[in-house]
Amino acid sequence: MTLKRAVPARHVFAIYWRTWFAQIRAIVEYPADLWVMASAGAVWNILQFAFLAVLFANVPNVAGWDYHEMLMLSGLLSVAGGCNALFWDGAWSTGTMVIKGDIDYRITRPAPVIIQVGSSHIGMQSIGEVVFGAAMFVYGWIGAGIGFAAVPIGVLAIVCAALIQCALVTALCAVNFWIKGQASIFAFLLIELQGNAMKMPLGIFPSGVRIVAMFLVPVAFVNFVPVSVITGHMSAWWLAGIPAAVIGSVLLAVGVYRLGLRAYDSAGH
Amino acid sequence: MASVDLALATIAFKRKIAYKTTWLFSVLFGGWSMLAGLAVWNHLIGDGEIGGYDWDSMKAYLIIGFLTSTLAWAGSDWDMANRILDGLVSIDLTKPVDFQRARAAEYIGGMTASVPAAILGTLIAVLVFRPAGPASPLAAALTAFSLLFIFPLAFGISYLATLCCFVTQRFLGIQWAKDSMVAFFSGLMVPIALMPVWLQGIAWAMPFVHFTTTPASIYLGRVDTAGALGLIAAEAAWAAGLWIIGRLIWRQLVKKVTIHGG
Repeated sequence: MTLKRAVPARHVFAIYWRTWFAQIRAIVEYPADLWVMASAGAVWNILQFAFLAVLFANVPNVAGWDYHEMLMLSGLLSVAGGCNALFWDGAWSTGTMVIKGDIDYRITRPAPVIIQVGSSHIGMQSIGEVVFGAAMFVYGWIGAGIGFAAVPIGVLAIVCAALIQCALVTALCAVNFWIKGQASIFAFLLIELQGNAMKMPLGIFPSGVRIVAMFLVPVAFVNFVPVSVITGHMSAWWLAGIPAAVIGSVLLAVGVYRLGLRAYDSAGH
Repeated sequence: MASVDLALATIAFKRKIAYKTTWLFSVLFGGWSMLAGLAVWNHLIGDGEIGGYDWDSMKAYLIIGFLTSTLAWAGSDWDMANRILDGLVSIDLTKPVDFQRARAAEYIGGMTASVPAAILGTLIAVLVFRPAGPASPLAAALTAFSLLFIFPLAFGISYLATLCCFVTQRFLGIQWAKDSMVAFFSGLMVPIALMPVWLQGIAWAMPFVHFTTTPASIYLGRVDTAGALGLIAAEAAWAAGLWIIGRLIWRQLVKKVTIHGG
């Protein structure tokens, strides 16, 4: 299958936003859906907050990290996951589209397939995730005694976390082009790994896990590295690694998706 | 069990293992959360104890949590949800098979596909990590018996979650909310014994606690025989209660189905 030549970036952004706003208009038509899903996202975050509150009622710190610093870790991870659901939830449908042959329609349209798929849904749980995640992050920020001077780094951290999260989820969902299945098992494993390991300081894990999380699948740059730099657990030089992780993750996602499209052979009839 | 239930369960089982590579990878990587939990609690407990759990008993607790969560999260949630989201439920209404019973058969059939992986993973974890043994042979037997209730409990909770799809367009967020409720209130994220008393009360008043805390408490001898039998009775009551609640909610929500054309 021959892929189309590249289209102008302006056209790509226009397509993305038109599709995204179409989703927003559809959401407004179904208010019950909106509130059920927003509540679902809020539940997840409230339970993360409760987990940390219970944990720190029993231990004074975890590997030198106190309660407020750990809230920042969980908060930033939630905001990143929420941004994925808000701006790029369609990536999760890749496996289903491959099985059903729904990629066919998107190949014939004059816009990149990855943009069409990524913007095909909005996960409304994202509203709860982003709001409560941001609340945890800000509460932790204030509690940890971090001043306004670090706010630009915090904003950069949030933007980069969202980009890395979306890119890694996209790359792992694209594995379904080869390993067929409705569920994006690898992307789910990423989320599970992040949920279990990345809301904790990396120092408590074996060195192999640290190397994988920092350099192979750079999930550490979603929340651990930026929060470590902001709270002084890591040197400021590590900040340079965050944009590098963004570029690497995005290139990985685009590359894997392109290869996946080459391997795509429709559903067959 | 009627032959139609067995047929539906068999189809769900075969569908689950049809995508062999996905199934294989889910088996291989299913232990990630347990390994992460072991690393975290090893760091926190060290040579001491927290909430009455020393390192050996915490290892047993986490391995039981791995076993139950592998079973509980292996059901056909998405198949159930997609039937509602895609509108296939309207076809189901024309069939001479009760919707809830048919979905239960499929769900348990799907869960059965994960039993070999759950047992294999548990055996490997036991051999590698050497957790505390059962408090007594009777405690081991009662633990195994209590684990059987994971099947109807998991279905009951997942069925209620998927019924939300009558008023939503996506299932992903609902599934994560449901999974996080199960993980937190079952004691998988943090043992119930570490929670403040009021939160423990809330946890014990919900069905989720029977996914990890109940079998682990029986296994480790944190409850006596009478207490263990009481917990198993509570599991049975919740299994029946969730079935009835599911049926009542279905009766209301199915009215939302609109069939166009004709």
